[in-house]
This record gives sequence, C-alpha cells and structure tokens, in this order.
Amino acid sequence: MKRIFALVLALLLLCAAVAPVYASDGNVVYNGNARKFIFAPGSPYSPTDLFPEFKGAMPGDSLVQRIEVKSAASDVTVYLRALGAHKDSAAFLSQLRLRVEMLEDGGATNLFDAAADKTAQLTDWICLGTVRSGGEVELDVILDIPVELDNQYSDQIGYLDWEFRVDELPAESPETGDTAQPALWGVTLMFSAGAISLLVSCKKRKRA
Amino acid sequence: MKKLKLKAAVIALAVIMLTLATQSTYAYYTTTGKATNVVTTGGIDFIIHEKTDQGTEFPAEGVYIIPGDIVSKEVSVESACEHPFYLRVKLVYGVNQQELSAEDCFKLNIDETNWKLHDGWYYYAGVVQPGETTPNVFSHVEIVGSAVDNSYIGKTLTLSVLAQAVQSENNPISGTDAYTASGWPVA
Repeated sequence: MKRIFALVLALLLLCAAVAPVYASDGNVVYNGNARKFIFAPGSPYSPTDLFPEFKGAMPGDSLVQRIEVKSAASDVTVYLRALGAHKDSAAFLSQLRLRVEMLEDGGATNLFDAAADKTAQLTDWICLGTVRSGGEVELDVILDIPVELDNQYSDQIGYLDWEFRVDELPAESPETGDTAQPALWGVTLMFSAGAISLLVSCKKRKRA
Repeated sequence: MKKLKLKAAVIALAVIMLTLATQSTYAYYTTTGKATNVVTTGGIDFIIHEKTDQGTEFPAEGVYIIPGDIVSKEVSVESACEHPFYLRVKLVYGVNQQELSAEDCFKLNIDETNWKLHDGWYYYAGVVQPGETTPNVFSHVEIVGSAVDNSYIGKTLTLSVLAQAVQSENNPISGTDAYTASGWPVA
C-alpha cells in the first residue's frame, strides 16, 4: 500500500514537472449558471485585462500572451470581435503590431494581423468554435514592438477592447416519457374543431 | 371547386394540429462580455549621485578652492528603472569669465577600468542592471595649480556631469564596447 502511494505521488510530481507552465495566461471563463463572463487575471490598469505579459515592453520585443477561453456548466458556441483602441491610446498602439492565432490540433489559424489599434479582421464576430462544458479554446496573441520605436512612446499605457459572445446550445435532456403538452393540445383541438365546424356550416348553407 | 377548397382547409388544419403536437420549443441564451486589455511600454531612467568621501551630498553651491586643492567628489550613476541599459557620461568644464578657460583647471582620477573614453564620452564598461549603482566615475578633483593663476581669483569654476543611457535589451554591442550600441542620442 505504501509502495502504491509512493508511486502515485511520484507520478503526480512528475506530471507537475513536465506539464506546460505558462507564467501568466489570460483566462476567459463563461459561467453558464450565472450567464456571465469572468476575465482574469486583470491588472492595476483594468480588472478585465487579459494581457499580463504585455507590460513594460521595450523596442525590439516580441511578446506572446496565451489566452484560454473556457466554458463552465454549459455547452456554448464562442465568438470574438475587436472593438479597437480607446481614443487616447490610438496613437501609441498604432505603432505596435498585434497578431492573434487560434490554436488547433497540429497548427494555428490566423485571426488577426494588424496594428494594435485596429479592429481589422476582427471587426465582425469570428466564431472560435463550440466549447463543451469543461472544454477550452486556446489563443496566442503576439505583440511586436518595432526596434525603432521613438522615445516619446516610452512609459506609455494603451487600452484596447475585445468582446466575447457565447450562444448556449440547447440542452439535450434524456427522454422521461412525459413530453406531452396538454394545454397546447387542448387549445389546438378547440381551435381546429371550431374552424372545421364553421367550414361545414358554411357548406350546408350554400347547399341550402 | 368549393368542395376542393373545403377539403384543403380541413387537411391544412389537420397538418397544423399534427405539427403542434410534435413541435418542441427551442430557446437559447446569448451572452456578451467585454475585456479591456492593456499594453504598456517600459523606459530608462537613472540618478546621478555626487557625494563627498563622508557620504554626504556634494554642496550644490560648490566649495571654495585654492590652487592645488584636492576636493573630494564621488560621482556615480544609479539605475532608477526596471530595464538594463548602457551608460555614458561627459564632463563639462566651465568658468564664469568668457576670456578664461576651465579645460586644464581640473585633474580627475577617472576609473579607467570601468569607464572607457571614446569621442569625448566615458562609456561604462558593462550593463547597468535594475537597482544597480555604477562604480565612481571619479572620486576626487585636483585643482591644477599651474593652470589656476591669479586671473581666476573670485571666479567660479564649474564641473558638470552629463549622462545618457540607452536600453541594452535587443541592442547587442561589439565585445564590451558600449559605444557600438544603437540609439545613442546624436549630439
């Protein structure tokens, strides 16, 4: 028993050691019970900030931010669009290049490649796919700072908005045998009987 | 024709009934949420320290000197940012009399091991890391007696330290020659 326990512990430690560790991932979690989004980790600049890796960037930097989009408690179809830079941030962010890739089995799909202040390819909603409860979609956001960036853009802060949308899929509940809708049946029968009676009486009058 | 219309109406009603009996109602929720994301850039900043050998600040108003004096003045530079940088300093001499020159009035014990002279600038032979303070550029100033003659009596000699820094990240240099870095301000 002790040997089994030690083996299990060793395996757990090994898994922790080899599992990919992303120091600061952004997280988008859709809570199906509350029907709201939770954005993390946030920052002193914005409570919904998904870019912890994009701080203190220097000319010549190429930074990567991993973002995980998850669904808790619901099966959903997820969409993303960019709303662009805040007005005061446009001049600064227009100097930087932003790319967004959606990670899929064996590769990545390019969703966005433009100046960071633009909406470009994400102006309209882009479908990220269907996410089952407990599942996730992964995005990589790449920020390139030009090496020739002027001194006037040192110690700058830029804000840009993204919007996420989910459409909850209908729940596939198991058959219980009681799927009848008595009220609807009753109303329909009454309406139909009345209509048929009216038609028949009209016919009889015409014959007469 | 009328019989046909009546039959059609009855059949249509029957179809409606059948459809309603088997129809299930589907409704699903749509939810949106907005994330305000933030990008920030870093910067380079430093503090020039001028102190005496007692550890006190060098007097801003200066000191009275006579030819041959050796004045304690330790000049160093402290990083005040979160990014490493290359550093250079220039020593600027002055006197408040246009006809006089201050160039030869001072003799400094420059630390030539850590500060390399190139094109009038002393380049720090290393990278200043966040929170780090450089070794002294020099630690005392000798007033050259042979240069400071009677014509300097009552005059003010000045020794100013000018410093410039450029990021070392994404900015390789040749060996330890910081003057080969890119981005030094053009004079």
